[in-house]
Amino acid sequence: MSAFVSISLVYLAIYTLSAWSLNLQYGYAGIINFGWIVFQSIGAYVAATTALGSPTSGGFQTYIFGARLGFPLPLIMGTLAGAALALLLGLIILTRRIRPDFQAIIMLVVAIIAAEVVSTNTALFNGANGLSNVPQPFNGVMHLSYNNYQWFFVAFSFALCIIVYFGLEWICRSSWGRALRAMREDDILASHVGINVQALRIVVFVIGGAIAGFSGALLVEFLGTWSPDAWSFVESFVVFVSVYVGGRANNRGAIIGAFLVPVVFGTMPSFLPEFGYPGLSANLEWLVIAALWLTTFYLRPAGILPEGRFIARRTRAREQAPVMPPIAKQGSVA
Amino acid sequence: MNLYIEAIGFGVIAASSIALGAMGFTLQFGLTNVLNVGYGATMSFGAIVAYAAHLTGMSIWLALICGGIATSGLTLLSAKTLLRVYAKRGAALFEMAMVTFGIALIVEYAIASITENNTFSLTIAIEHTHALGPIRFTDVQLALVILAVVVFILLDGFLRLTKVGTALRATAVDPDLARASGIATGRIVTIAWLLSGFLCGLAGGVFTIDILTVNAFTGDSLLSLVIVAALMGTAGSVRGAALAALLLGIATQLVSAAGASGYASAVAYGVLAVVLLARPKSVQGGLVADRVQITV
Repeated sequence: MSAFVSISLVYLAIYTLSAWSLNLQYGYAGIINFGWIVFQSIGAYVAATTALGSPTSGGFQTYIFGARLGFPLPLIMGTLAGAALALLLGLIILTRRIRPDFQAIIMLVVAIIAAEVVSTNTALFNGANGLSNVPQPFNGVMHLSYNNYQWFFVAFSFALCIIVYFGLEWICRSSWGRALRAMREDDILASHVGINVQALRIVVFVIGGAIAGFSGALLVEFLGTWSPDAWSFVESFVVFVSVYVGGRANNRGAIIGAFLVPVVFGTMPSFLPEFGYPGLSANLEWLVIAALWLTTFYLRPAGILPEGRFIARRTRAREQAPVMPPIAKQGSVA
Repeated sequence: MNLYIEAIGFGVIAASSIALGAMGFTLQFGLTNVLNVGYGATMSFGAIVAYAAHLTGMSIWLALICGGIATSGLTLLSAKTLLRVYAKRGAALFEMAMVTFGIALIVEYAIASITENNTFSLTIAIEHTHALGPIRFTDVQLALVILAVVVFILLDGFLRLTKVGTALRATAVDPDLARASGIATGRIVTIAWLLSGFLCGLAGGVFTIDILTVNAFTGDSLLSLVIVAALMGTAGSVRGAALAALLLGIATQLVSAAGASGYASAVAYGVLAVVLLARPKSVQGGLVADRVQITV
């Protein structure tokens, strides 16, 4: 029971980071990153290979740039990898004017190609078998029991989430965040008021990619394994659904979405006692997630917590200050 | 060398199912502007129905038609109920694609739940093989290629020579103008969904006869190639889709013959990404504001 709660909570933290990453890219900036999962997965792979140490010849797994770095470095390397991939793809894809659904298709295609190349080429990240035995942070030092370590990881990932949350809120409420929303609503108009739309789009894509890489790195540190099965392109759809269910451009909504979609309907059913033929519960899980998406999009198109009204502090102060004394109504006695 | 010539032969056979799918996809996409990511799931549906019909003792060709008709019905149903509801609510282009993705998941996992995740295999007796130089065709494979060619000629003729076909092309170009000049666009869109669904089911069935196995996710392996072919050949152009499908079929088989079978479809996707990025004319539009009209 304790393991069930702690594992679900770690998943909640990781999927919340995922939803925030996509929320920044799609909810705030309107970039349709349908290949989102690639950024998470490169973060996971890089964190894994930089924690595993150099591959032993004749060992059971092969991978590139193996190193055994101390605790925070694999996480940082994973984050940087996500950012670097986002910069590369952003420069190629986002600098062109493409119809939004075609942009989604290109991103999807990138995800499919990446999965195919990684599963085929075993020299890269051990092919379809994936990487395993990734050391968990502090586990060698602290000598905790399995359960206690799980709870330690819960606290650790929640602390990281809180830091990311405040960072994101600060970004989204700043004038830079307003520029993002302006670009989302009308990129031509935004460029006319002096916003460098191209640069903004790439920078926000890179920040989102970094958070995605970070979430992947955290996930692989927790799970200890990562393989192409874990990041089929459908996973991006799940993150999109959690952003939509929670509410686009609302970071608190993204937490609710991440809790409802991937955690309650995606992860928890695997703890249920086995029923029917093997694989039935996984099938039902997908049916429920798809139905959840279609119904929320019908009933609450803006999500559970819709985007709030953002007003710059200076404007708000001006609105609240009594500029003129209220005009006395005609006929009233002074 | 012979290896590569044989690969071209296999490519033509593989192209038959890609072409059928791509023609249906492009017809519907060109007209309604809904990027139907659920096309793969409906192809699986068509394949499963055709397989079930074949189990009841029907000849495989009749079963293929059955699959096509059933898929046609399913496509029209989902378009006129779900898609229409969301389109009326003003869903954006990308959101419509997400809706079709949701429908696809429901169809696929419903099939998977009913068939208990089984993969069924098909046996078809081969009576003759034909040799064309080093390329060998079985009877069935030859029939599949002929079927695809016949469907292509019929469809192209229908679009160019008949009144309904002309109306269809007119609606694809400008729905408002078409309506203003007296075309019942609603009926035309219905016809497009039906045709597209029929071709979709046919493609799924043909693919199953080609690879001889079928499960709930059969259509998915074909979907990406179908979308690649449809977008490469310019959305809405049946001729373009057919030609692109032929090229893609041959290209993927050539890559496999060269010993890199793991990368066969990666090559196809790479081609698509390059095409989409390098041909901004056919894919241009506002990045954010949707300036493309959805007609469902």
